[in-house]
Amino acid sequence: MTLLPAAILILAVAVAGAAFALSAFLWALRTHQFSVKHMNEGAFVIFDKTDRLGEPTDQIFKKPAPDPDERTAD
Amino acid sequence: MRGLQTDQAGPRLDPGAGEKFRDELQRIGIDDSSASPTVFYLASGILWLLIGSFAGAVASFKLHLPEWLGNEATLTFGRLRPVHLNTVTYGWISLAGCGMIVWLMGRLCRTQIRWAGLLYLSALLWNLGLLLGSVLVLAGYDAGMEWLEFPLPAAALIAAAFVLFAVSMFRTFVARQVEHVYVSLWYILASMTWFPVLYVIANAGLYQGVGEAAMNWWYGHNAITVWFTPIGLAGAYYFIPKVIGRPIYSYYLGLLGFWSFALFYNWNGLHHLVGGPLPTWAISVSIVASLMMFVPVLAVAVNHHMTALGHLRIVSYSPTLRFVVFGAMSYTAVSFQGSLEATRTIQEVVHFTHYTIGHAHLGMYAFVSMILFGAIYYILPRLAKWEWPYPTLIKMHFWLSAVGVAIYFLALTIGGWVQGLELNTPSIPFVDVVRSTIPYLWARSIGGTLMTAGHCVFAYHCALIIYRAGPRRFAPAWFRRAEEAAAE
Repeated sequence: MTLLPAAILILAVAVAGAAFALSAFLWALRTHQFSVKHMNEGAFVIFDKTDRLGEPTDQIFKKPAPDPDERTAD
Repeated sequence: MRGLQTDQAGPRLDPGAGEKFRDELQRIGIDDSSASPTVFYLASGILWLLIGSFAGAVASFKLHLPEWLGNEATLTFGRLRPVHLNTVTYGWISLAGCGMIVWLMGRLCRTQIRWAGLLYLSALLWNLGLLLGSVLVLAGYDAGMEWLEFPLPAAALIAAAFVLFAVSMFRTFVARQVEHVYVSLWYILASMTWFPVLYVIANAGLYQGVGEAAMNWWYGHNAITVWFTPIGLAGAYYFIPKVIGRPIYSYYLGLLGFWSFALFYNWNGLHHLVGGPLPTWAISVSIVASLMMFVPVLAVAVNHHMTALGHLRIVSYSPTLRFVVFGAMSYTAVSFQGSLEATRTIQEVVHFTHYTIGHAHLGMYAFVSMILFGAIYYILPRLAKWEWPYPTLIKMHFWLSAVGVAIYFLALTIGGWVQGLELNTPSIPFVDVVRSTIPYLWARSIGGTLMTAGHCVFAYHCALIIYRAGPRRFAPAWFRRAEEAAAE
């Protein structure tokens, strides 16, 4: 491909990409993604209702065991 | 049963317990919808991690033992090295990253995964592309550009696979049940918009000569920008606060970090061509943009480190948090190093040396891969409904990977700097410069071998949990008891 068609293609893609990024930003503004309410509450989206804030969630099988290396067979 | 209380009036539910049960049931449904595609992607990624690691280890040894396996063209450095690069980036990181993204999309959008059939097709095409590309490169059909070595048929399969993946993820996003778009989702959605465009343009063969070199590094750096880094940051923004049980330190900084990242990072590629036959202004723009990266990197670094600060005892027992925090710290280190490395003063020394390879591994391994390992340690037990059988294996994996990459990075950083200084000294013959790098290359091979051993341990443990084999644990697979850590 010669330089001109390649340049036109790249320019078209660049303009389309910039338009997409701008529209994403405007959509975020329109849906109030950056509003104070969203900013204050957004960080909590990752937590479920069953999660207790301040408690690590890195466990799912909570039956207590006396030792971490103690294993129980089925 | 949680939420169920008994008194003289008989059993009754806690106020709000019904809502919690509904929430838990909804989460189980969401996880079930993402389980099969996630495991497909993760298992494929781990398989390619093993293949890529062995290819990389052999290629590394050949740098200081050049005659080893030297009679077989397929096993020469020039073929093994691109196979290593492409299988660990488009295989391991991309496929494991897709697996993590599928799971995160369900969780963050609070909805079941839509059009999951596209994901199976995508994973299948992606694996076929990797297999075809690796075989063609080993057979000598290399496309000839770094990061773009796979010939067009293989690249086309991977591009199609990515588009199918992105369609399913965007459909899931549209169906989301949460109004707010969490910061991890911004990174994920942006990467799925950027990367297919980048990959298609770079593989389209539109350029010749100097333009091709410019495109090569525009692509090479942006692949890290728009795909691999968002995978790592999306994971860190989710898993650090989630595991700790506290929201991120500053949500404002999180979004500022994302938008400044989107603004500055994609201009960085041409700093790879400092001293090359390109207009000086183009390279200068790239260097300035590289320095501007301090803005998003500081935003992310402050956020991650302040979130983890005060909860470091959890790092001592939680496998996920230990891997992810290691990755987040590496992100800060590699980004600061990268911004400084882009300047002409540093480039005068480190250009064309092993230093760059050390920097690349700090990013792709110590940052992205470690976060992916941590994510997998969190995700797989929830999908398999089976706890990791052997915490000792997780500990082995962590230390083999962490020590391995530390040796690798330090050896190539010091060795590369020495190599650069010697290359800039005309009185030192070139062959002497090469000889002086050999001890550092040995250290590189030792580091790489340790990482490969860690991957074997990790793959074995993943196979056990996927097949729900090994002893069943009813306690969390932690490095030690939480009470011990709290007592210190």
